[in-house]
Amino acid sequence: MSVRLATPPHPSLSAVPEGLIYSFRAMASPCEVRVDSFDAGMVARLGEVAEAEALRIEQKFSRYRPDNLIAQINNANGAPVEVDPETAMLIDYADIFYRVSRGLFDVTSGVLRRIWKFDGSDRVPTRTQVREIMPLVGWNKVIWRRPFITLQPGMEIDLGGIGKEYAVDVTLLKLAARTKAPVLVNFGGDLRVSGPRAGFGRWRVAIESVDREGVPEGMLQISHGALTTSGDARRFLLKDGVRYSHILNPRTGWPVKDPPRSVTVAADTCMEAGLMSTLAMLQGRGAEKFLRREHAQAWWMR
Amino acid sequence: MQLRKPRRGRVSQALALMTANLLAAVGAHAQDASPGPMDAAQAASVTSDTETDLGYTRIDSAVLFYQEAGGRVRAIEPTLTATLNSNSGDVLSVGIVSDTLTGATPNGAAPWKQSQTFVTPAHPPSTTATVTTASGGSTLVTIPGTGIVSRQYVVAPNTLPVDTGFRDQRWGLNLGYSTLWNPSTRLSVGASASNERDYTSASFTAGVAESFNQNMTTAAASIDFEYDLSRPFFGTPTPFAVMSADQKGPVASKTVASLVVGVTQVMNRYWLAQLNYSVGTTNGYQTDPYRILSLVDPTSGAPLQYLYEGRPGSRIRQSLYFANKLAIGPTFADISARAYIDSWGIKSVTAEVSDRIPLTSHFFVEPEGRYYTQTAASFFRNYLVSGQPLPKYASSDSRLGAFSAVTWGLRAGYDITPHAELYLQGESYKQTGVTHPPGAIGGLATQNLFSGASATSVVLGFSFAFY
Repeated sequence: MSVRLATPPHPSLSAVPEGLIYSFRAMASPCEVRVDSFDAGMVARLGEVAEAEALRIEQKFSRYRPDNLIAQINNANGAPVEVDPETAMLIDYADIFYRVSRGLFDVTSGVLRRIWKFDGSDRVPTRTQVREIMPLVGWNKVIWRRPFITLQPGMEIDLGGIGKEYAVDVTLLKLAARTKAPVLVNFGGDLRVSGPRAGFGRWRVAIESVDREGVPEGMLQISHGALTTSGDARRFLLKDGVRYSHILNPRTGWPVKDPPRSVTVAADTCMEAGLMSTLAMLQGRGAEKFLRREHAQAWWMR
Repeated sequence: MQLRKPRRGRVSQALALMTANLLAAVGAHAQDASPGPMDAAQAASVTSDTETDLGYTRIDSAVLFYQEAGGRVRAIEPTLTATLNSNSGDVLSVGIVSDTLTGATPNGAAPWKQSQTFVTPAHPPSTTATVTTASGGSTLVTIPGTGIVSRQYVVAPNTLPVDTGFRDQRWGLNLGYSTLWNPSTRLSVGASASNERDYTSASFTAGVAESFNQNMTTAAASIDFEYDLSRPFFGTPTPFAVMSADQKGPVASKTVASLVVGVTQVMNRYWLAQLNYSVGTTNGYQTDPYRILSLVDPTSGAPLQYLYEGRPGSRIRQSLYFANKLAIGPTFADISARAYIDSWGIKSVTAEVSDRIPLTSHFFVEPEGRYYTQTAASFFRNYLVSGQPLPKYASSDSRLGAFSAVTWGLRAGYDITPHAELYLQGESYKQTGVTHPPGAIGGLATQNLFSGASATSVVLGFSFAFY
């Protein structure tokens, strides 16, 4: 995710010519809410709503926390776990998209990272290692009878692939219900706007270079909807002259071949944009062909 | 980049549908105002009601300036309304209004080629301060030997007779409360009262609205009772009595009861339709105590006497109203039509169109047009003819005659902040009717007998909400 953000460490309010920006950190990323209004009290309240929502969703769906429902599901050791309606809706969503993507989008693929550590080294796992871990990957091995989910022992689910985009969409809807002023919500480069800026202006979004942090590689303008970027930047393995991308194919357990360095997709919602860009990367060499076939609004870099 | 969407691929289509479903469900969970692009129902809430301002208090203030052409009625009307919205959907509103009316109103007599003098009761001397010879163009005369004070005014030849000594001040108070009885049923009650020098009115209303079909349909019914007291300082005249300074009569009252039933339907994301039927009955004194008719000579048409008018004591009104709110691109249009019929013989039709056009996200303009036409009441007369039997009822009030009216208006609004709006509205209203009715007697054939008005009004309003 690489839309340029300059975020101070603590929540802060800053001004630009068109309005105010509330910045904070959540989901291990810089986040911001831009509002075309100079009503500092209102923008701060909107920012606090956004921050609370981002932190709520992070706390609820992060797989890194030991104390949430995801941890309970992943550590149930074969026992069914009952989930709340919001989690159930996201699991339903992942379940449908698993089938739509013909298995390329799989919330159980996170365990592959136990053997694939993309630290720029040459520590590529062996075929045996991959073969041994594959029985723990595959949404078709999960028993999902809403509201009960049952994983095979050793399996894990990770809703992080949709959580941030979901947070952006939900937050934007909440803010748009509270103000008529134009709003942009950007959580770590996944962003959505409420509509055109004041005076029908468009929001300018810089696409950060995938190779050099902080350097913009292009500028996009949007007046409606969402933008997300998926990239293959800086996280790879290099062995015997072969570059192993960090985009892993859950059907094989191996990195996809020759994905674009980055794909930026525009769509009505952040979830749509995010899943289109993720799925495009998973097509590897066929990414551009896939995006054209889907008539997606997309930009990519090779 | 505009999102131009050609035929989308299989994955895009599936994603769009599943995401819309998910976010719609989340929106319901979050109990926020419905998310997504603004639709007609939301447009309605943005432009008119404040019920979606959960938790907010809204203050609406406005001043209306109204001026009829030809130096006739001029009104200044400031209003102030506070609407308190609780987080649970209860709405309490309190409004006050004050009118100041000055200027001249037609007294009901027909114009004539010679000047005409009208003699009416005057306030007792202790309260004559409201009528002065300087501003009213009328003179106070004490009738010799009687102690009766009369007010006399003279109307120039070939002009519509108007009473210039006219000034009134009105105060009004409105209270309204509505609550969600259950998630789909809203109950509302309201009361209002107003008082002016010679007129007092009080009303009470109660209604229920039921939403069903996933809030796509709302059926509503309300009843309204009103009690009015007409108490000119000289009492209410006996119909067809000769206008004189020595006028005494009782205070008179009327009651109004009405029922409105309607249904509002969300036709689709861009179209909200409403159909209302109302029926009302009015009983009691409905005559204008200040209004007269000329009793004219049957051959020359010259005025012989001026008689007080009289109207029936019962009136039953029915109307059918069809309104639509449409989201057309970035604009919101209101298109409505109304058909009306009453037991006095008046049939009318109204058609109205307006379109709210955002020029920027802060600034909008809303042009509007309205056409109205009505037939005359069965007892409407431009004048009465001497020697003929008096009708049971008669009035020359132009509002009971046949006429058409066209209104053009433009409203411009500016959002100072997301919760504060300043607006300015200008309207031009013009009535047209038959100026020279066929069969006018003698010299009346050359007089303009249509007393309808043209008017210009300006509203300056400021509305803001706070939490």
